[in-house]
Parts: sequence; structure tokens; C-alpha cells
Amino acid sequence: MKRIPALVGATAMSLLLLTGCAVTPTADDSEQPDELGGSITIACGAMEDWCQAMTSAFTAETGVKADFVRLSSGETVARLDAARDAPEFDVWHGGPVDGFGAARDAGLLEAYESPNAAAIPEKYRDPDHYWTGVYVGALGFCSNQRVLDELGVDVPTSWDDLLDPRLKGQVSTAHPSTSGTAFTTLWTQVTRLGGEDEGLEFMKKMHNNVLQYSKSGTAPGQIAGRGEVAVGIVFSHDCVKYQEEGLSDLVVSFPKEGTGYEIGGVALVKGSKNKPAAQAYIDWALTAEAQSIGPTVGSYQVLTNPDAVRDERMVSLDEVKFVDYDFVAAAAAKPELTARFDAEIAAQPKE
Amino acid sequence: MTTDIPTMRRSGWSLLRRRETPLDLPTRIAVALVVLVLGLLIVLPLINILSSAASADGLKVFASMFTSGVNLQIVQNTVVLGVLVGVIGTAIGFLFAYVQVRLDFRGKKLLHLLALLPIVSPPFAVATAVITLFGRSGIVSHELLGLSPTLYGLPGLTIVLSLSFFPAAYMNMLGLLRSLDPSLDEAAASIGASKWRIFRTVTLPMLVPGFASSFLLLFVEAIADLANPLVIGGDFTVLSSRAYIAITGEYNVGAGAAYSIVLLLPALAVFLVQRYWAGRKNVVSVTGKPAGRPDTVTFLPARILLLTGVGLIALLIVTIYATVVLGGFVKILGINNAFDLSHYRYVLSGIGSDAMITTTTLALIATPIAGVLGLVVAWLIVRKLRSGQGALDFLGMLGLAVPGTVLGIGYALTFNSPLGFGNVALLPALAGGGAVFGGAVAIVMVYVIRSSPSGQRAGVASLQQIDMAIDEASASLGASGMTTFRKVTLPLIRPALLAGLTYAFARSMTTLSPIIFITTPQTKIMTSQILSEVDAGRFGNAFAYCTILIVIVMSVIGLLNLFVRDSSVPRGAAGLSSSTTLE
Repeated sequence: MKRIPALVGATAMSLLLLTGCAVTPTADDSEQPDELGGSITIACGAMEDWCQAMTSAFTAETGVKADFVRLSSGETVARLDAARDAPEFDVWHGGPVDGFGAARDAGLLEAYESPNAAAIPEKYRDPDHYWTGVYVGALGFCSNQRVLDELGVDVPTSWDDLLDPRLKGQVSTAHPSTSGTAFTTLWTQVTRLGGEDEGLEFMKKMHNNVLQYSKSGTAPGQIAGRGEVAVGIVFSHDCVKYQEEGLSDLVVSFPKEGTGYEIGGVALVKGSKNKPAAQAYIDWALTAEAQSIGPTVGSYQVLTNPDAVRDERMVSLDEVKFVDYDFVAAAAAKPELTARFDAEIAAQPKE
Repeated sequence: MTTDIPTMRRSGWSLLRRRETPLDLPTRIAVALVVLVLGLLIVLPLINILSSAASADGLKVFASMFTSGVNLQIVQNTVVLGVLVGVIGTAIGFLFAYVQVRLDFRGKKLLHLLALLPIVSPPFAVATAVITLFGRSGIVSHELLGLSPTLYGLPGLTIVLSLSFFPAAYMNMLGLLRSLDPSLDEAAASIGASKWRIFRTVTLPMLVPGFASSFLLLFVEAIADLANPLVIGGDFTVLSSRAYIAITGEYNVGAGAAYSIVLLLPALAVFLVQRYWAGRKNVVSVTGKPAGRPDTVTFLPARILLLTGVGLIALLIVTIYATVVLGGFVKILGINNAFDLSHYRYVLSGIGSDAMITTTTLALIATPIAGVLGLVVAWLIVRKLRSGQGALDFLGMLGLAVPGTVLGIGYALTFNSPLGFGNVALLPALAGGGAVFGGAVAIVMVYVIRSSPSGQRAGVASLQQIDMAIDEASASLGASGMTTFRKVTLPLIRPALLAGLTYAFARSMTTLSPIIFITTPQTKIMTSQILSEVDAGRFGNAFAYCTILIVIVMSVIGLLNLFVRDSSVPRGAAGLSSSTTLE
């Protein structure tokens, strides 16, 4: 039965390819921004205050009412899939593009080449225009120095440090079925260790040290910040945000073997009821002005528009070692791999 | 209180059998309408979830339920949690009720209100406060005692669920203890039995049905809960959280439906046992109404022991709710205790206030509908029907017997697309973002079906106490069934109606499990907003939300009491207290 969504996806994809050419001309009809109206709903995969700042700035700019729901990647795909015929959302903004790829494979997104996409470096764009990158984040360790000191453990600088028996029940990460962050963690292991079995093997070893698989990917940073665990695995910018919000025991570190990263995307939902406004939102989200809103609400992802602001709290992508993260392969493997994770690891007893 | 209903009902029903006038037309229409409404609100979603569970995905889960070690573990976890919460919650509830009835001390009233507090508070208030207080870096556990206990998993869930659900056991035991006939105690004492011996051999055996029904109630509440396993479940997976991950994470509705069916069966079984079997084994009603005041415990060591036990638990409850209130006003409670209003600013602006207005509005719409529906069902059962009362009673109560998770999934399956036969659409889509009114209709429907059983219970109980002769007198003067109901019956059962309404409102405002599957971008519901705050770890915002929610519920209950005030309602009997046993 797991194969049926894939089958449906493949069928929908091929249909989409056929209609793809027909769709583009109609997109050109909406060139007059003053004719925009109505309202759009955003499925937002980033921090709640980021979502709020983005949607209200867009409304202020265009007059189009923009609502959002903060959802983790898995939930977004699930809800888009559930309401395939009458989508609840017009745009998906924020969250790792692995999830966007999975949605695209399931025929839930519509290709849209924004005129503003040219400004974004090519490596941050989907070659088929299903999504465009708006920010980049590096996966890191978000540790609580006080708890580490109490346990007598050093700040982790390697994935294998997380397997330390002294960290039993002291590692927090999210559930890859619901969280894009956690899926990035999982795929990083697959890439780093050279195969799905090897990647799952590592996650299985780490399972003994994991306290709880949370629903949302940013939660482990908070859990570590409050001292419930020693180490949370999150995107480093989320950790910085929590530090600034007062969880001052937090320290950021990166694994020396190489870490994964996310491209946070923006995409048009297939069947959007207000396509001109949705496209205008995407155009706007790619501008330097829109992207520069992030740091004002404590979100320090590296921005994809070269003209957007830089902030010293953003991670320097040159100083962190990355694995060779293949977003297309990750998206294709996602449904099968998360199901395996759930069956083979999440529900298993600990040793 | 629950336990003495069946006896009264039997006599009520046998009374009815003597009436041989045929059903009048309005009654027949009322029966048809009620059955239609209940069919739409509860039967259809259940049928859909059953058929979805019978899909290939669902059958795979069923098949693996007893073969896969993982699934067996989940079932076992669920049962263990239910039993623990049932035992501990019943014990706490009994302790509070016993002290309330059998001990004289100052602050009784306060203790009673304290015991009811968990009913008006949202599901995570207790969980988040317990982590803040007793977690690994908790204020009490770590800062004061230097300990780092791990609450995530079974220990935390047991504590939190017992504290959240014990009020149901408390109300149940309170009613039972109050109705015990003190003359039995006196008789035992007169033949020389010691107080301890009386407690052991006279009082306790009479309480056994009460213990059993409280245990079963709490067992079902505990296994049906979704919010707490998501927040502090740790690696302790239960059926409800597994169903949630299957649906929201894997989008495998068949599997989710199958997991929840496994949840539905024990819940229904327990419901049936509790209502139709345990209720019948009633030792209390034999002696009729209690005569005189029960003997109070005066033996000092026993007093000290009981009061200390209750005092400690009461202190715990006070600390937890103080934490909730305080936590909204400081930066990060336990880490940075500087006074700070940013949580309230966050919650009161934008989506927070939207959620508040939407939730309150929808609950206020649902409350009278639920009250009327419950009452009409009760009226039909007690006064009008000559056969099939049991079936209608069961149908009406089903909304409460079905676990919230099951109901929510059923609603998502049924109402996300237009409803109809073949190509004829009878109803537009009612749930989901693409539905009419942004899916608000389905949410109101869930509120109604979850709340109307309490109106029904209260209505049945109070209708049975009103003599049939009054109705007959009205009829003999030429009034139709409707007029009699409106002019005679309704005024008499107003207190029960009020109780049902208040309870329905509190229940709607604080429910999560069924709602989480059908919230939409346009209809933001407070409890599901709180869940996302808690899950993202922003406890301060969650605390602020919880405090506001408690304030809203209490204000509306207060207003309702003012509006529908009735001098015949005894002090304190109005509102929550008289209907909480219906949980």
C-alpha cells in the first residue's frame, strides 16, 4: 500500500509534465500587481514569529490578506495530500526542501518560475522550478553547557560523541516522519555512512540515548535549553535564536565528520485558489527586502538572495564541513526511509 | 450519583409501560430528528473509520497488532497506563471525597473547588507545569533538591493524567459517600464494632461499585488522551499517539484508523460495563434516602493522616496552577525569572486573539445546541418512548464513550469531502480548510456530540425525579406534548439544564484530541495552538494561553450561572459539580 502514493504521484507527475506548458502562459496574465486581491493561506515551516512577520509584511506591501499555519514538513505533506482536490493552502514557505521534493513527487506542487528567481544562485533552486530556496541552514548540536558539565561530558564535536553511554536519555531530536529537521539528520547519516542501512544503524545506536522524538524539529533546542537534555540536534540558527531568547546555557557546535544542511524553500501549491496572489507572494519572498525580515525576528539563517542583509550571528558556511547532501535523492527516499525509521527504531525498546 | 440512576430509571420506565396512548406526531418527528442528528454526528463517522480500518493499510496493522513486538508493546503500554491512572486517580478521588464528607475542618469549600480545577483547565497546563517543576532541571527537583528525575514516559504520564482526571472519580465518590445511609454505621456501632472495623466491613463494601466505575472511567480517559503522550510521552508510545503519527506524519489514514479502532473497543466495552452492569450492582439505593448526617472521623491519628495526604496533594495542585499563572508573566520560568509581558503580548496579538475569539465563539454556539439535544434525548427516553429507550440512551451517550482521537479521525474521514449518495451531494464538505465556513461547522459538531451526553445524563436524572402526574395533569387540560414540555417540564429541569450547559462549555473549550485532526487555517482553536507552543518548547506562551483559557471558561460559567440563576438550585450544586460524574 505504501506504493500507492508513489504510483499516484508518478501518474500525477506525468500529467503535470503534460500540462506544465499550458500553465505557464496563464501565469503571465497576472502581471499587474495592482489587480491582486482576495486572501492566501501559507503553510509555514519556519519559526512562528518568522511566519507572522513574513505574512504581515506581505499584506502591508500588497494588500493581500495572508494567513499562515505553522506546520512541520511531514504534516504539511500530509495535509496537502488530504485536501488534494480543494487545497487549504496556496503557498508553502519555509522548511527543508526535502519535504518540498516529496510533495512534488506526490504531485502536490505546481512549477512556478518566478521572475525574481534569477537573483538566487542556481544551487539553491529546483531545476524544474517546483521550489526556490529562500534560506540555508546548517545542522548542528545545540548543547546545554551546564548539563554537560554536570555529566562531565565535553561539547560534542562528532556524531559519534552522541553515542557516549554517559549521554543516555540526554539527546533530543525530532521524529523524521513529522519533522524536516529530523529527516535532514537521518539523511545526513545515510550520506555520511554510505547507505540507508548504515544510516539507520547509526540512528539505532543513538536511539539508546534519545529521550523523546518530538513532533517539531526546533523543539530539541528548547528542551536542551531548559536543561531537560544535554544535547539537541537542530539547525544551528534555531539554537542561536534560543540563546538570544534567554536560554543562555546553550552552545552551538558542529560534527567534524561533516553535517547536513537545509535549503528552506518556497513553493506554489497545486490547485491554489488564488494563484496570482500566491505567485506574487513567491516573487516577494525571493526579494532581498523580504528575506532581510528574518534576522529582525531572531531567525539567523543564511539568506539566498545575495543582496539580503548579512548578520554576524549567521553561521559562516565556509567554516562548517558539509556532507554532499543530495536533495533529489533525499526527497525520493523520504517516504520509505521514514517508515523504516518508525518501524525499526522509534518504537523499539532501548537497551 | 451515577450508580443510583439505573434504579430510578427502571422504576421510571416501568411507570411508562402502563401508559398506552400512542405516540403523538410531534414526538415521532422529534424521535426521527434526534436519530437523524445523532446518526450524522456520531454513527456516520464511526462507520467511516471502521471501513477505513478495514482497508489494506488498516488490516496490515490489525494483523501485526499481535505479531509485531513493537505493536504489542504499544498495546501493553496503553493498558499499563490506563490501569495505573485508573488506580491512582480513583485513590486520590476517594481520598478527597472521603475527607470532604467525613471530616470537619476549615477550608472544605476551597478544597472542593481545588478538586474541580483540572476540569476547567486545558490538557497541557498540568504537563508543562510538572516538567517545569519536577523535570530534570525542574525548580523543585533540581534547584531545591538537586535531583534530575526523568519524567518523560510512564512516570510523568501517570502523574499528569492522574492529576488531570481524578476530579471525575472525586465527583463520583462524593455523590456515593453522601448517599450512604449513616444508620448502617450506627447499627454496626451499636453492636460494638470499632470505627476502623465499620469502615472496613460496612462502608468499603458499599463503595465497591463506586470504585469500579471510577476506575473504569479513568481507565478510558487515560487511554484516550492524546495531548499528554505527545508532550511528555518520551519513548513510551501509546495507541493514541501512534495513531496520530500515522495520520499526520505518514499520512496513512488506514493505519491510523486501525490503531484507533483498537482503542475504541476497550473504551466501548468499559462504557457498557460501567453503565449497564456496574450500575445495577447498587447497594446504596436499597435503603433509600439517607437519614441523618454521616458520622465524622474524630480519631486524631486518622484525621492527621487523612488531612496530611489530602493537604499534600492539594498543595501540589496549587503549586501546579500557580506555576501556570506565574509562568506566563516571567521570561522563562526557572531559568530567567524576570517579570515579562512578552508572552501575553504574543498571545493576545495576531493568531492568539484569533484563536481565542474563534474557540469561544464556536463553543458558545455549540453549548446551547448540545444542551437542547441532550435534553430532548433525555425527555424522549424518560417520558415519551415505550420501547427502545436503552438504544436511544446508548446512541446519545456514544459521543462521550468514543475516544476523542477516534472521533476526530472519523470526522476528518467523513466531512472533508461533500456528503451524498452516488452523485447527489446532500451536504457540502464540512471539515478541512476548503469547507464551508473554513471547517468551523465540523468543529461545532464535535463540540456538540462530545457535550450533549452530559446534558442527557443531567436531564435523565432530573426528569426521573419529576412526577409523571404533573405531565398527565397538563395533558388532561388539553396541552399538547410540546406545550407540556415547554411550559411544565422545562422550567422544572432548568437546574439540570444549567449544569449540563456549563459542563458542555468547559468541555468544549478544553478538548483537544478530536479537534486536532480537523482544525484548519481559518479556524484556529486554542488547545491546538497551545499544543504547538508546548511542542516548540515555548512554555511561557503556553502558560499565558492556559491562564487565559481558564479565565474565559470560568467567566462564561459565572455568567451562565447569573443568567440562568434559579433560587431552587442549592448553593454549589449548580454548574460543574452536579454533572461532572458523567465524565
